[in-house]
Amino acid sequence: MALLTRALSARAGPSWRRAARASPGFQLPLLEPAAVTRALSRAMACRQEPQPQGPPPAAGAVASYDYLVIGGGSGGLASARRAAELGARAAVVESHKLGGTCVSTAVCSVRGRRFVSAFRSTACARSYGFPSCEGKFNWRVIKEKRDAYVSRLNTIYQNNLTKSHIEIIRGHAAFTSDPKPTIEVSGKKYTAPHILIATGGVPSIPHESQIPGASLGITSDGFFQLEELPSRSVIVGAGYIAVEIAGILSALGSKTSLMIRHDKVLRSFDSMISTNCTEELENAGVEVLKFSQGIQTDDKGHIIVDEFQNTNVKGIYAVGDVCGKALLTPVAIAAGRKLAHRLFEHKEDSKLDYNNIPTVVFSHPPIGTVGLTEDEAIHKYGEENVKIYSTSFTPMYHAVTKRKTKCVMKMVCANKEEK
Amino acid sequence: LEDHLTGQRDYDLLVIGGGSGGLACAKEAAQLGRKVAVVDYVEPSPQGTRWGLGGTCVNVGCIPKKLMHQAALLGGLIQDAPHYGWEVAQPVPHDWRKMAEAVQNHVKSLNWGHRVQLQDRKVKYFNIKASFVDEHTVCGVAKGGKEILLSADHIIIATGGRPRYPTHIEGALEYGITSDDIFWLKESPGKTLVVGASYVALECAGFLTGIGLDTTVMIRSIPLRGFDQQMSSMVIEHMASHGTQFLRGCAPSRVRRLPDGHLQVTWEDCTTGKEDTGTFDTVLWAIGRVPDTRSLNLEKAGVDTSPDTQKILVDSREGTSVPHIYAIGDVVEGRPELTPTAIMAGRLLVQRLFGGSSDLMDYDNVPTTVFTPLEYGCVGLSEEEAVARHGQEHVEVYHAHYKPLEFTVAGRDASQCYVKMVCLREPPQLVLGLHFLGPNAGEVTQGFALGIKCGASYAQVMRTVGIHPTCSEEVVKLRISKRSGLDPTVTGC
Repeated sequence: MALLTRALSARAGPSWRRAARASPGFQLPLLEPAAVTRALSRAMACRQEPQPQGPPPAAGAVASYDYLVIGGGSGGLASARRAAELGARAAVVESHKLGGTCVSTAVCSVRGRRFVSAFRSTACARSYGFPSCEGKFNWRVIKEKRDAYVSRLNTIYQNNLTKSHIEIIRGHAAFTSDPKPTIEVSGKKYTAPHILIATGGVPSIPHESQIPGASLGITSDGFFQLEELPSRSVIVGAGYIAVEIAGILSALGSKTSLMIRHDKVLRSFDSMISTNCTEELENAGVEVLKFSQGIQTDDKGHIIVDEFQNTNVKGIYAVGDVCGKALLTPVAIAAGRKLAHRLFEHKEDSKLDYNNIPTVVFSHPPIGTVGLTEDEAIHKYGEENVKIYSTSFTPMYHAVTKRKTKCVMKMVCANKEEK
Repeated sequence: LEDHLTGQRDYDLLVIGGGSGGLACAKEAAQLGRKVAVVDYVEPSPQGTRWGLGGTCVNVGCIPKKLMHQAALLGGLIQDAPHYGWEVAQPVPHDWRKMAEAVQNHVKSLNWGHRVQLQDRKVKYFNIKASFVDEHTVCGVAKGGKEILLSADHIIIATGGRPRYPTHIEGALEYGITSDDIFWLKESPGKTLVVGASYVALECAGFLTGIGLDTTVMIRSIPLRGFDQQMSSMVIEHMASHGTQFLRGCAPSRVRRLPDGHLQVTWEDCTTGKEDTGTFDTVLWAIGRVPDTRSLNLEKAGVDTSPDTQKILVDSREGTSVPHIYAIGDVVEGRPELTPTAIMAGRLLVQRLFGGSSDLMDYDNVPTTVFTPLEYGCVGLSEEEAVARHGQEHVEVYHAHYKPLEFTVAGRDASQCYVKMVCLREPPQLVLGLHFLGPNAGEVTQGFALGIKCGASYAQVMRTVGIHPTCSEEVVKLRISKRSGLDPTVTGC
């Protein structure tokens, strides 16, 4: 109803604008007078149909929002929702399904798959007193369940946006050459004083000129579309996605090889983790092919931002995977929210602290890490000022099983107080 | 007596009790170069069960409990498996013997491990039942009847406790078993009645239900006394909706053996006064534990005990009424009955005695976990305690009902998956207590215990980035307060 009254006063002129700015409520879109009627009827329609599309501007008109978010993934949605809670009129542009990488292709799905592998404990189950769980594994069943679950999540995200009165603009956004930052989606233009780029990332594929036939391979996007368990798989890469997928395929019975450029996986992690994870992969039956040639990493075109998520253009910001730093859902969410508070609650020092962000790799066994690696600490504090505490043991779970894995822990402390 | 004349005693330190606390003390003192002896003896249970070195935790507590809890959890995973694509024929039967043998073998390896550790550290070990002769000397009878006298400058009593039998109930002693026996049974306990509302009762009932046995829990009044009561009732709710039967407000009066070998239990409903009976294969008493002090002859040494509980009275330095005699662990009045606190208190004590330290044990904010089918981890104050201490207006409780990702595909009921953080209301909102109900609660709670120990505030919790996707992250995502009255159900990311 508030929208209705404000729309009526749209023609009042400058005094209205002053009043609107003074109050922390949202501002009206700068519509032509003729469009006020349309806005009114849409406002009424809002109450019945819960799914408004982007406003249909008159030809040549630019729809204006307080906050435009490009990308409906973890970071984009969190920022848009928080901004809307703080009173901003926000819109999200998304060309695929809502939820982004996390929901559709990576995290939630990998986690689900990991649970499957935890069920290679049919052998373990025998040791705990459960005779012959000679289960056979059916890939299709879990694919269907996973697809259904992801679909449900997509719907939930859609509903969340609707409940927060955030417009969803379907399509692919591109910046125009207008003097004021403006984007164009399916032939229509949109602008806002604050625009967030949260387009995330895509798996990188080597070029055909580097590796002939590269296009015949799939990425983690394609992995979740597989209809059957491949009997033989080769995974190229040494990062956490490669490690997780190799672990899953191997545990489910695919003969798996992992092709890496150097001699260890997870090289950006602490060397103890890197070594142990590589060993455990080999112990689990994954063939790790070391010092493999020919894979070049493209320049991903990560967007450069300062600590406040500002890009070099005033009014344009970026969060999440597209910035190339700490590629994690909760980080994108937190950074997105901090940005919304900075822009719409005028909390000038609102920013995310990127130090000590905890993270997990769902390998077998899983890895949890937070803070500096041993090498990073030595580099920062000097070798004499770094003290390491570590332990290695077999988890009690394996006390009664044939299969054993090793648990290793390391605590890196600095200076006299052993922080 | 010769020692008194020469002034030279056998040992610098004598530890009575080779359990979690006792062994930690002995090893720590040996590491500091002292001459140490440990005496350990296990009085067989009324049913005849006995075990080796290592105390309650290793033999009839934490270790076998957790392994059997794991066996039960695996049963649940097997049921989930078809949803994830595994073609497993249901139902899958469970073989008690196989599990018990594996668990017992592991425990025995731990007994052996402890023996070896003592030997390596040159700690003398006597398997004798010791009692005080005077304040510096104990005597005990070894196998074969030989009497041994041991004297020491310092003595630490760490004899722990044993399960209590309701001796006023006819047939309780002859026909019932306790946690001392359950882990060592060679045959399945079958249809079981667990009497008690302690975590021991609930954990045992939990894994018995999980491996497919018909299990009933009889509770006279409230579950998990001393724990947060909202959380405790959710623990019970979960068990009740997953196959465990409960008889609330009932107390047993008699146990009889029937001609076919089954046990007939008679009980009274405390509200109606009506009597009822039931037939079971096994009756497990889990109504509390008593300290192992009676046969120590503490009066000969002058060590005071509590008149109510018979537990040993100590000060903040673990010192008893006798200057050179100390006590740690379950045998002590007013201390948590937990392995890690006994170990830490023991080590700190030895460091004070022989290592020149003055650090005292801090018993605040000790984290713990109840390993019921849906696990409950907690650290700090319960909501009731916080309100009692600070007043309702000064306490803010943040809470959330969440759904573990793993429960989705399998269609598991997550109604009791719940977390709450009890804080002071005044900024920065110091965290007073954290309560987590859900899978892997122990793993979840451990990390947050450090934060609370460091005096974390809700403001700091809010600034901590979560790890995704986990259940643990739900703690740092807590935003809805009880006071707001808003729906605390977590929706999407």
